[in-house]
Amino acid sequence: MSGPSAFKASLLLKMVAKSSRNQSLLDKFCRWLVNREVERSPEEDFMRDEIVDNDLGFDPDELSAYQSGRLET
Amino acid sequence: MPAAPPIDPQAIASAEYTERPVREGVTTKRVICASCDIACNVVAEVQKERVTRIRSSDNPIFRDNICMKGIIAPKGFANPTRLMKPLKRVGERGSGEWEEVSWDDAIADIGDRLKAIIAKHGPEAWAVSTSQWNTGTDHGLGRRIMNHIGTPNYISGVALCAGNTAAVSRYTYGWFPMGDFANTKCIVLMGHNPRRHSWTPMYNFIRSAQAKGAKLIVMDPRKSSSAERADIWLPLKVGSDVAMMFGWLKVIIDEELYDKDFVANWTIGFEELKERVDEFPLDRVAKLTGCNPDMIAKAARMYATEGPSIIPWTPITDMQRNSTSGIRLQGILRSICGYVDAPGGERLEGFNPDIINESVIEMHEAISEEQKAKQLGSENHPAFTYRGQDMFREPTKRVYGQEYANLVMGCHMATPSATFRAMAGEGPYPVKAFFFLGNNPMMSYANMKLIIKAMMNQDLIVAHEQFMTPSAQLADYILPADSWLERPWMMDTFSWTSTVRFSEKSMEPPGACKSTFEFWKLIAGALDRPELVPWDTIDDLYDWRLASTGKSFAQMCAETEIHFKPAEYYRYKKVGFATPTGKVELKSTGLEALGFDPLPYFREDPPVDPQYPLMLFTGVREDGFFQTGHRHIPEMRKRHPDPLAFVSPGTAKAQGLAEGEWVEVSNQLAKISIKVAIKEAMPDGLVRVPHGWWKPEMEQGAGRLSGALKYADAQLCRDDPDYLDREQGIPHLKGVPCRIDKVAGSTLEPGAEEATIGATPKAKEPAE
Repeated sequence: MSGPSAFKASLLLKMVAKSSRNQSLLDKFCRWLVNREVERSPEEDFMRDEIVDNDLGFDPDELSAYQSGRLET
Repeated sequence: MPAAPPIDPQAIASAEYTERPVREGVTTKRVICASCDIACNVVAEVQKERVTRIRSSDNPIFRDNICMKGIIAPKGFANPTRLMKPLKRVGERGSGEWEEVSWDDAIADIGDRLKAIIAKHGPEAWAVSTSQWNTGTDHGLGRRIMNHIGTPNYISGVALCAGNTAAVSRYTYGWFPMGDFANTKCIVLMGHNPRRHSWTPMYNFIRSAQAKGAKLIVMDPRKSSSAERADIWLPLKVGSDVAMMFGWLKVIIDEELYDKDFVANWTIGFEELKERVDEFPLDRVAKLTGCNPDMIAKAARMYATEGPSIIPWTPITDMQRNSTSGIRLQGILRSICGYVDAPGGERLEGFNPDIINESVIEMHEAISEEQKAKQLGSENHPAFTYRGQDMFREPTKRVYGQEYANLVMGCHMATPSATFRAMAGEGPYPVKAFFFLGNNPMMSYANMKLIIKAMMNQDLIVAHEQFMTPSAQLADYILPADSWLERPWMMDTFSWTSTVRFSEKSMEPPGACKSTFEFWKLIAGALDRPELVPWDTIDDLYDWRLASTGKSFAQMCAETEIHFKPAEYYRYKKVGFATPTGKVELKSTGLEALGFDPLPYFREDPPVDPQYPLMLFTGVREDGFFQTGHRHIPEMRKRHPDPLAFVSPGTAKAQGLAEGEWVEVSNQLAKISIKVAIKEAMPDGLVRVPHGWWKPEMEQGAGRLSGALKYADAQLCRDDPDYLDREQGIPHLKGVPCRIDKVAGSTLEPGAEEATIGATPKAKEPAE
């Protein structure tokens, strides 16, 4: 590998190293850039879950009906 | 099993916040979630006298400490299959024939039958299995009654999950350390993978530490989500953690990266340790672990030089044939690098001085030495039994002010396999009565076949449960249990840390459900020993425990979420360590006195039977479930409709397996049915199997057990000598030879079409 690709790869590696060090302002900037690039969007983040993201709680009457078997789910 | 969230009490104490406004008709309670074992501070919203929502705490320190299992709790506990009344078996054991009885009638009969068993066989014929972390309100009362009655045969899932780490840690430095996440500079995860919906606070603390610049080193055969975020990922062979730690020590000692002053002044056995470590040059470690020697060295240097570092507790080390050596090596790494009781390192907190701790309530002084000596398993595997822990009474009194410290409930246990053998009629004496509380023992220990035999051989089985688990199906009595929404809780992390937290009761328990406190109070009365539980209510017990603070439990709940003593580092410089020598024992005088190798060592895998060419990793946790629970909740089952075995694309190709195909995973003990999930993150040759699978909707009773006989991983968990840790007698669950066999016919399980409604997992997702 040579030319622009090698330069880009080398730059990325340096940025990741700085990002990992996370001490100077430049480190922190690199970390922000790297995070921005690698962070998953909410739709693709398998660790997110609608139960958490959209939680509004339950209706007390529906819970009572569910508990007594009068409501399926 | 259990884990204490690495909270920073000082930060919490100084946190200022206002509670979120609530809608009209809604009241809030500050509670601690017990849907898993990590105990997140959350808020319960109450409408019409029932909890309708669990949300994250208003305190910014606890922000985001919530997962799907907590949020679904109001519905999970409202499930129509929840047990509401005491049930008495009326047919053959396991026949599924029950009649409803009153608590009074049940307790009277249980008392009479238990007294008859004790009169005939002795008190040691009564064994109890609990998971106090889940039952929450036991507070040592079970052990208290057992100790006065005279039985030492208490077992718990903590025998292979944190409780054993606590007990074995004492052989090195006298206490069980907790990582100082708030100040650390380097975190080492050994196979453990905290994530958004599993060990959520730990995940948040690791992310927070990383954001502040802390390094992350992950040892894990698979590329977990933690490994993806790590500075160094060491994809070691399953079960080779001990060899890896020897490699780290080789680098740290050879390159003199250790804390020479600490080693000289506060340790014993360094030269002997060095000789043992010299048996592990990096090329040997590389062969044993399958990792690049340069990366091993780099990780070791990072741990030793970029600290203070922490190695948070991990269940992975707890469940290996080299568990004792692994736990000791973690302690040795922490110690020689000078991280023990140092800021940003590993804190040895001791008891909270303001409350009466559970070790006091348990009254271990009440059981005679003669009865202690009968504790099952203590002859061959004494590490966490009374016999093994006895040597810490004097040092613990010297350093922490009292003789008994039952840290994480794990320091005075019988060994599970020996207990089940005695229950099955294969032990030194008969065990004929078995109680279990908040615990599904059949599926929670190794060798499920033995456990079923043991249970079928009992004269009396009593379960305190919320749902009809496979274990409960074999009971004589099932007594309905309350939930964490329906009881108060004072949480002292079982003395792992010195923080105490408070949880308000949010609603009344439904039907005839009762707390563990009430259960034990009734049992004490039935055994004609009501004086053992003299408190009328659990609030009275809490008030008694808090008396020296000058505040009642209700006042504490109103004023704070946490009570703590300020962090005190380097306490050992004043009082030494709570070991027999008062120093960190790199070479353990305690293990030597028990007849074991005083230095850590590595037992390699026994020769592989060519019939079982793959390696099995059992005990995998899925986000929607905790242990064997939560299978009854539709929302959770939608996410995990069936058990999935994770394999690599290479293994799938070699075995001719397709995504979603039903197969059988087997070893010399048993076989289970499971679906294939192909994950790029998995290494070739390894099969990860989830823990605790059964399906509540399937047929109950002996011979079926709601699918447990078909799916449960405990059937594959061996407890023969090659697969037991020598010192503790706990099973090796991380790297057991197995095979995968295709099942002829459809890729769908017959009759299971409706159940398989979850989305197909994606190969590129980490193998969580």
